[in-house]
Amino acid sequence: MHSKASLALALGVMAVSGYAVVAAWFWPWKAALFPLVIGIPLFMLSAAEAAWVLFGKTERGVVQDFQIARDVPEREVVRRSAAAVAWIVGFFAGIVLFGFALAVPLFVFLYLKLQAKEGWIFSAAFTAGVWAFFYGLFDRLLHLPFPAGWALSWLS
Amino acid sequence: MIEALFEGLTLVLQWKPLAFMMLGIVLGFWVGLLPGLGGATTLALMLPFIYAMQPVEAFAFLLGMHAVVATTGDITSVLFGVPGEAASAATILDGHAMAKKGEAGRALGAALASSLVGAIVGAFALALAIPMVRPLVLTFGSPELFMLAIVGIAFIASLSAPGVRGMVRGFLSGGLGLLCATVGQDPQAGIARYTFDSLYLWGGLDLVPVLVGIFAIPEIVDLAIRRTSIAGTLPAGRVSKGALEGVKDTFRHFWLTIRCSLIGTFIGIMPGMGGAVAQWMAYGHATQSARNAEERKGFGAGDVRGVLGPGAANNSKEGGSLIPTVAFGVPGSTAMAILLGGFFLLGLVPGPDMLTKHLPVTFSMVWTIVIANVVTVIACFLFLDHLARVTTVRGTVLIPVILVLIFIGSYTSNNHYGDILLTLVFGGIGYLMVVAGWPRAPFVLGLVLGKIAENYLYISVARYDAAWLTRPVVLVLIAIALAVIFWPLVQRRRRAAHA
Repeated sequence: MHSKASLALALGVMAVSGYAVVAAWFWPWKAALFPLVIGIPLFMLSAAEAAWVLFGKTERGVVQDFQIARDVPEREVVRRSAAAVAWIVGFFAGIVLFGFALAVPLFVFLYLKLQAKEGWIFSAAFTAGVWAFFYGLFDRLLHLPFPAGWALSWLS
Repeated sequence: MIEALFEGLTLVLQWKPLAFMMLGIVLGFWVGLLPGLGGATTLALMLPFIYAMQPVEAFAFLLGMHAVVATTGDITSVLFGVPGEAASAATILDGHAMAKKGEAGRALGAALASSLVGAIVGAFALALAIPMVRPLVLTFGSPELFMLAIVGIAFIASLSAPGVRGMVRGFLSGGLGLLCATVGQDPQAGIARYTFDSLYLWGGLDLVPVLVGIFAIPEIVDLAIRRTSIAGTLPAGRVSKGALEGVKDTFRHFWLTIRCSLIGTFIGIMPGMGGAVAQWMAYGHATQSARNAEERKGFGAGDVRGVLGPGAANNSKEGGSLIPTVAFGVPGSTAMAILLGGFFLLGLVPGPDMLTKHLPVTFSMVWTIVIANVVTVIACFLFLDHLARVTTVRGTVLIPVILVLIFIGSYTSNNHYGDILLTLVFGGIGYLMVVAGWPRAPFVLGLVLGKIAENYLYISVARYDAAWLTRPVVLVLIAIALAVIFWPLVQRRRRAAHA
């Protein structure tokens, strides 16, 4: 899986750096100097990495970082990753639509109930605790400006 | 001078400055723990409250708060893999890996003890260096500062993955970070670069949402895949033990801790470099201290030296960045620029006066840094058992809480939905990087250094044309960058020849 991911990243960086160089070409030199100095070698390095993945021998090496759940079967990794991404994106959509004040308790409760399969009482009590922390600290104490969300603004 | 040193201590230990310091410590403790709420922002918010204070009280309050933010920022990095501060991201690589191995207590012990050592080294550097630092700062012009940024990226890119392939990926990662730093309005010509007509992108990519995304999202996905607690299936009893072991580790690798503290102090002195750079430089140095390739493999997988280095540098840079602020009125970081505002609010002018007439006030700052860190470390050790136990809580219960903190943390950077979107995009990139085996550290350093490096490169070229490349310090730094790149390859070839 890592060589596919590396190829995807290398092609992505090639596209980004290629676009960056082409766009910078038409700017005054003051603005273009740094993007060109970085973009051109970056394009060449990413092309080298892509060629390496496609035509070279597979070599992972030990990067100084953690590795995603090594002891879980690959198919299960893909399935669980997709579920996690769906929850994360869903939370974001909830925030945009309903605002933090509603999306936070809604997300915490639904996650605990549907994904973690926790009981009703625990889910409700835990959600209340998280909401109280969120509301007490960020809203009442720090007065952070959280908008109401598009759906609620539209309704009102 | 000795008299002023003790007078500074007496000033800080009076009840009012001490009480303000404690208040600052409590605020800084929580600000450090909460992702996204930066130390600099909190300093700015607290600035209006110092009007009625005496200089010593005001600095005890502000510095007491600022000095502990970095220390407690390491706690969230170790426990959740979420950087509490932009400057505590490097601690994640090994600190969180240790937490996953059931060594959260040891990682926290090491982070706290090294933070304390770093803070003390930084404070003493501040005390000792004031008369000597002027020639050093004046030696470093824009060309030298640009090359210093390049050396930093070369350092981390060549060390974060082994072999030529690893190095290519390291430079790709660093280059991508540098390129991302060019997004936004260019400071020289005013051109909107890569903004796609979005007003949000005019200000560039904010560091906090990007860092939170690139580090925290992959950890969340990993936790969701594993369906265990952070510490996995290890027995609960093991997790909270080992804090003392972490403290012992600090003294076992004492010279590494001191060296990393000095790196942090040095980076702190250099204007504009900042804490995030100091941490990554120190991490790079800690990696380099591995005696062989086998030992180096442990970095990123939970080597305590990967916690000690960044922990020490993160705190020692505070003393370092105070040096140019106090001595020349040149702030070393955003937080110091805000602190400089505090000087003027209190009617103090940084410069020679601070080293003569107001020397006891200057030394009171040194003592504030030391005392604030000692108090914080003691307080943290009292709660360490409870803090470390978080790593045994079921992942499915932790995930929604961490996600709420991540989203609020990134949203509060600019109070814009774009911040969360940025976190998600870079979360995806971070996840791909982890899966592909691309190191994330060079990307962060590239992003942090990008704007600074561009500024210095532009000034160097505009002022000296190509002649900036022939300046003696630049030549030395080019030689160091080349040595950093080629030395591991030469070592590898030598080993292959011997085998």
